[in-house]
Amino acid sequence: MLSRRALIYLGERLVLVAFTAVAVSSIVFLGVHQLPGNAFLSDRRIDPVALQAIMHHYHLDLSLFDQYKLFVSGILRGDLGESLVNRGIPITPLLLREATVSLEVGAAALIFTIGLGMVLGVIAAIKQNSWIDYLATATSVVGYSMPNFVIATVLVLIFAVYLYNWSGGAIYYEIGWNGTYGTLGQISIPAFALGFPYASIVARLTRASMLEVLRQDYIRTAKAKGLSDRIVIIRHALRNALIPVVTILGPLTIGIITGSVVIENVFGIPGLGKEFVQSILSRDYNIVIGVFTFYALAIGLANLLVDFLYTAIDPRIRY
Amino acid sequence: MTAPVLQVKDLKTQFFTDDGVVKAVDGVSFDLHPGETLGIVGESGCGKSVTALSILRLVQEPGRITNGQILFKGTDIVTMPDDDVRDIRGKDIAMIFQDPLSSLNPVLKVGYQIEEAMEAHTRISGKVALSRAIQLLKQVRIPAAESRVEDYPHQFSGGMRQRAMIAMGLANKPSILIADEPTTALDVTVQAQILELLRDLNQETKTAIILITHNMGVVAGLCKRVLVMYAGRIVEQGPVEQIFHDPQHPYTWSLLQSIPRLDADRKDRLLSIEGLPPDLIKPPSGCRFHPRCRFRIERCFHDDPSLMDVGPDQAAACWVTMRRALAQDGQARA
Repeated sequence: MLSRRALIYLGERLVLVAFTAVAVSSIVFLGVHQLPGNAFLSDRRIDPVALQAIMHHYHLDLSLFDQYKLFVSGILRGDLGESLVNRGIPITPLLLREATVSLEVGAAALIFTIGLGMVLGVIAAIKQNSWIDYLATATSVVGYSMPNFVIATVLVLIFAVYLYNWSGGAIYYEIGWNGTYGTLGQISIPAFALGFPYASIVARLTRASMLEVLRQDYIRTAKAKGLSDRIVIIRHALRNALIPVVTILGPLTIGIITGSVVIENVFGIPGLGKEFVQSILSRDYNIVIGVFTFYALAIGLANLLVDFLYTAIDPRIRY
Repeated sequence: MTAPVLQVKDLKTQFFTDDGVVKAVDGVSFDLHPGETLGIVGESGCGKSVTALSILRLVQEPGRITNGQILFKGTDIVTMPDDDVRDIRGKDIAMIFQDPLSSLNPVLKVGYQIEEAMEAHTRISGKVALSRAIQLLKQVRIPAAESRVEDYPHQFSGGMRQRAMIAMGLANKPSILIADEPTTALDVTVQAQILELLRDLNQETKTAIILITHNMGVVAGLCKRVLVMYAGRIVEQGPVEQIFHDPQHPYTWSLLQSIPRLDADRKDRLLSIEGLPPDLIKPPSGCRFHPRCRFRIERCFHDDPSLMDVGPDQAAACWVTMRRALAQDGQARA
């Protein structure tokens, strides 16, 4: 299990993640307060007295410094304030629910990315220069040269439009879903669109790393012991080949988090990404700050998780 | 004399590269008797390692065994189905490699890598395998074997890694242990310890050892018999002492002359062998050593010598042989 030193390291990293989240939200806080106008200006019928009351309710009549103090003390308690548009709705529970939705799709995309990427990569490496290798390589090239919003749009066209027409409306992908938990069908197609470009990268990397590992002396040692090819590949090669793959897991997770903004909007998924765009458009700045804070936390924790994954896979790395 | 445990007959291993066919091993034959210690010596690229890898059919693409037989207890390894070769690897014939750091898997515990060698060939419980791994580590003189068995290779020193490799090789009590440059990557003092260990193990377990090295001194320390290889061929073979005292092939003689000696006269310069090892895609005509040979005669340029008896149990592939060359040298000076 985790040693004392590793626990101390974990603690330090968690403090760092929290600090980063506060820093990111502070920058966004200061940024949005520099923008002209506010969420209430579109309410044409609002009278000056009512506006004054609203401004007071949201502490917008205070000085920037006082507002910031209130904001930081709130964020340290986990309170991100109230929505400016849907008055009286607290932001933290709302975003937590939406984060759950995003997590479903994101986790599915990540599993799909790693699973498909690794399987394709390993097969391509073992069958190097065979038609399987060429097919996997060609698929990968297509995968990572196509941005995920293109893939998403094509998938919507196929599953929501063509499939609907072809089956006479019996089976099709319904754009937009309500509630927190999506069905397997609702999750899998966006997850595919989100993960496919990254799966291609993982496949390329796994292939290259696997080919490199298969040339190593210890693979020859394993064969000289009389182990079967299957055991040599799974036990001796794959684990070593995964080390560079774990390295890109950090940037990859970030890519999936940021990619979800586009994908959720294309598929109408009620997650953080959709909220992000909507809140900017409606100038709901409190929510904008909240979404940024969530993203900062998610990216920080994902990187932390990747760093600890290293120690699980490579005994030479210890914290 | 008992029947040989391994017979290599006219082995040819070639690499089919884009530049042409590299004849890495070109007609090598030798016998290995039970419990014997045999050295194979030669420069880098003379085919000694490829010979060793061929015995276990571990030569990698684009290399292939194109001719010959490798008879292990009478059955030919060259034509055996893959599964049968796998049964022999690590169980009857074990192999240890040059660089013990790169030859051990960095992400698996040392003990586990030893246990795995046993589990590949016998059904044993994890507990038995573990205690046997500890016992093997003790046998190769690793201190605190009980706790060391849980270590990873990077936690071992160079010498200990090579000991662990040897323990792995001995796990199934093989009848042959092939050691490919087992001391090259180690310090001189550690080299001596590893050689001593191999010598002791050879006497304790009666495992035959094939020691592959470029170092004549290492051969002298461990082996009874030696094969000298040059350009994919055996150029001289015989008992170690005889070869050391009375080498008949000019190549062997040059190799021995190029060993630095503490008792040599300071004024004597260390003799190096002129030129480079030959291109094995297009080996030289006649005797392959002739372009670098100081004693060559007309015949060496076009006539390829095969091994001829030059003494009791000693054979050399040379038209001249050192006996005659040195006699003529003496006459010329007189």
